[in-house]
Amino acid sequence: MDLTETFWAWIFFLCAILATYIWRFAAVMISHRIKASHPIFEWVTCLSYGIIGALVAKSLIVPTGLILIVPLWHRLSAITLAFLGFYMLGRRLWVGIICGETTLILLLWYGRIEIFG
Amino acid sequence: MKEIETNLQAVFAGIKNAFGIPAILLISAMTGFGSLAQEQGFSIYMSILSTILIWGLPGQVVHVELYGMGAPLIAVVLGVAGVNARFMPMTISMMPVFEGSKHNRKWNYFLAQMISINTWAEMMQRRDDINVDLRVAYFLGFSFTCMIAGIIGVLQGYVLFESMPKSASICLVFLVPIYFGLIMSNTRHLPFLLAFIIGCFLGPLIHNFTQEWSLVLAGLISGTIAYLSRHKISRKN
Repeated sequence: MDLTETFWAWIFFLCAILATYIWRFAAVMISHRIKASHPIFEWVTCLSYGIIGALVAKSLIVPTGLILIVPLWHRLSAITLAFLGFYMLGRRLWVGIICGETTLILLLWYGRIEIFG
Repeated sequence: MKEIETNLQAVFAGIKNAFGIPAILLISAMTGFGSLAQEQGFSIYMSILSTILIWGLPGQVVHVELYGMGAPLIAVVLGVAGVNARFMPMTISMMPVFEGSKHNRKWNYFLAQMISINTWAEMMQRRDDINVDLRVAYFLGFSFTCMIAGIIGVLQGYVLFESMPKSASICLVFLVPIYFGLIMSNTRHLPFLLAFIIGCFLGPLIHNFTQEWSLVLAGLISGTIAYLSRHKISRKN
């Protein structure tokens, strides 16, 4: 990499950092101007829950990368079992995780999907 | 968690709770980023700094991929801003957690940099278990540990480059929806649960129209519906 190229790489990087930090900065600024009891905080928390819901569903239904080799119904069965294990057996996180992951491994193994390469 | 009485104890409690699933998630996610950055010819310094200074995996990936494709600066800025816009609502909703603590409020600009989905979810879960004065210390212990786990992940991915067996990688990647799905749906506040559920449906749907802004748009719609119907839900309760 020559010098100009390196220079531009860092400019791009700096802009990417600012493009992220600007959201955090604006958020702190806004939050300092309103009272903590203001209903806007409940609304924004709702937004965040919605965002994470969307993230969870996207990583299951329209995933990228490695998960693509796992058939959709395998993914959905595994997450369903994870939820069932969690909510039926005392809301323990590790129980949910073990149920989900075990289902996934068993389905992949049973479906003879090449994951052990 | 009520036994925590000093800032030091709170820091250690944060470190302790980050060891486990949050650290595993970060190591595995950042391993993927490390190998991507290596593949695209990024230096190891920039890859590590990216984890510390951007601290939001989707934005880091967009930056590396678009730059690797030779996209113009404006495309990189808009792409990163789009996928990381979720930090705005997440940071705003996090601030009341620290309200009433004795720290100088200027530090909030620093604390905001430490927010990621992991650390946000943790604080939303634990806020009532920790004394207001000790939340900043707890948060710092937790999020610094997460960040260090992320850096270890980047190094591992960059140096070892996809040496993990495929089966282990799949299980680790699958941990993300299970972990966040379980901890976020496990809320006692019904409007939050409703927002989460609607978000689950809207996320993949909106993804068909816009990939970069789909999370924020889905959150905006589902969160607003949930917020507006909060009195109706609470009455039934």
